[in-house]
Amino acid sequence: MRSRRDVLRSAVLGGGAGVVAATALGSLGPEAAFATAAAPDAEPGAPDPNFAEGRIRSIKDNTLLVLGSNMVFHTIRVVDGTSLWKLGPVGFDQARPGDGLYARGVRMPDGMLAAEAVWLNIVNIKGHITDIKHQTLHLDHNGHEVLCHVVPGTSVAVHSESPPTSDLSLLKVAQHVQILGAWRPDTNEVDIATVFSPH
Amino acid sequence: MARTTSAGPPADLLGPVQGEVSWFCCGNAWGPCSSTGKGACGTCNSGNLQHAWPNTSDACWAITRPDSCGFSLSRRTCGFQHRTTALCTGTSVVTTIADCGPQTDLFCGEQSCCGATCASNRLIDLTPAAFSRIASLSAGLRPAEISTV
Amino acid sequence: MDGIAASQPYVIALFLLWAGLVKLLSRRTRAQAGRTALARLVGAARAVPALRLVGLAELAVAAALLVPPVHPLDGAAAALLSAGFLAYLAYASVAAPATSCGCLGGHSRPVDVRAFARAGLLLAAGLLATGATGAHPPLVPLAVLEVVALLALSAELDRHWLVPLRRLRARLCPPLAVPPAGDVPLETSLHLLRRSPAYCSASARLTSDVRETWDEDGTRFVVYGAGDRTAVFALPLGGDDPRTVRVALVDEAALA
Repeated sequence: MRSRRDVLRSAVLGGGAGVVAATALGSLGPEAAFATAAAPDAEPGAPDPNFAEGRIRSIKDNTLLVLGSNMVFHTIRVVDGTSLWKLGPVGFDQARPGDGLYARGVRMPDGMLAAEAVWLNIVNIKGHITDIKHQTLHLDHNGHEVLCHVVPGTSVAVHSESPPTSDLSLLKVAQHVQILGAWRPDTNEVDIATVFSPH
Repeated sequence: MARTTSAGPPADLLGPVQGEVSWFCCGNAWGPCSSTGKGACGTCNSGNLQHAWPNTSDACWAITRPDSCGFSLSRRTCGFQHRTTALCTGTSVVTTIADCGPQTDLFCGEQSCCGATCASNRLIDLTPAAFSRIASLSAGLRPAEISTV
Repeated sequence: MDGIAASQPYVIALFLLWAGLVKLLSRRTRAQAGRTALARLVGAARAVPALRLVGLAELAVAAALLVPPVHPLDGAAAALLSAGFLAYLAYASVAAPATSCGCLGGHSRPVDVRAFARAGLLLAAGLLATGATGAHPPLVPLAVLEVVALLALSAELDRHWLVPLRRLRARLCPPLAVPPAGDVPLETSLHLLRRSPAYCSASARLTSDVRETWDEDGTRFVVYGAGDRTAVFALPLGGDDPRTVRVALVDEAALA
């Protein structure tokens, strides 16, 4: 009995049963356009019904109860096809009460959001580096100090469109950066996924 | 403070412009967002389909200074609609202006690519709800085309 | 004690001159006035006139402190200015915490502990100055020490000394040393993936972020959701040619 990963590996490397479209050359031809129905457009400027933000209040089975910043509760269902991000792809067991959350999916008639993608504690903050000490960038974000920690094996720096590198030594005190990372709940600390440096 | 005209007519005056799109949070939400507030227009929320534009007022222009990167953008005020289309995926989202940003002049010349298509300079910042419609939040920065609706 | 009191007028006057001149002469300060806590207090339209008024008051008190004869009221005026300034800082930190105070320079710096400490020191100096009689010469070393302390508390000047010092420290003892060569970070692979023709053709149909990823025999596999189906990408670990990235769309339900 082949494992699921064996099946997926065979599919992408060699085609086979269950493969709807694939390529050995790297691109899909027009015959491989897979149609999906467009989601109904939400009103510009208004809340997106297929999106939820807030903090996880409780977790039960495969459901997250989330309290939004506008004091609205969201019930979010996570299924096998849902991706979860917490400084990288993680399993559902990594979700914790108190985590900040953004989720995109499909709003069901009963009000539940069937999640396609969930991002936990993800932040994308811009600011000036005020100091660099012991694998930590001190960032001035809107006048508040945020401690941004380098995570070995995960944190990378992107200098314009250069390939991301785990060598962050080119970053300088006083330069402006954008840091995408995972907030540590109830602190002013963030674990770095990517530092975007303009030069 | 008078807006400088040294960068010529606004790049978005006659048609769509290509540049980078990022995302930001707003609306007194969790994490570092708790200090961000409701933006320059007083209406910004991370769950709304909204965006920040670099030229919503003279005071805004003084902060973002796209002309430092060699181009100008039209003055658009709160509530104005833009369409942001991710390059190479073709997915798009229509949003309204709710804040001033991004700080274009601090990232002059920065480039982002999708496939073989690249775009330079930060032109627009979307809320998480809007950005996640056209790209994954974990990407952080994407090339896009910005047009009026 | 008399020497200490005699030193204060000079210390205070130095900072009042700096603050007053910056408010009246610096175009950058006036240009950014609308974004300071002062603008929140009096309204954006009145921010610049208010700034000018405060600047004039600071110069007037500085002149009173420097020009003989010495009078206790000079110190009292300085103390009053500092007390008012402390109250303004308290307002700024509560009502507009992310705004600049617009105090001693055009480089926006939000109100922080150092600003309060500096204002508190100036208040103490003002109160001490009320004891100056003009009969004793100032204690120059003390005055110099006070000025240095106040300058160190001035965040507006950080870019002239603190930032270069931090940069030097980072150069001498690199805090972000290059890590040993090891696993390729996932984001490096995703960067290659996003530049590939395979991603271009599939990305519009992806409905999730990365669901899972694993490495096998020098190849990294990255899995996304694509509606009812699964998109799996294969890319070489350590490779940099986007054309080598492959994609397949798999109907896992059909295989179950």
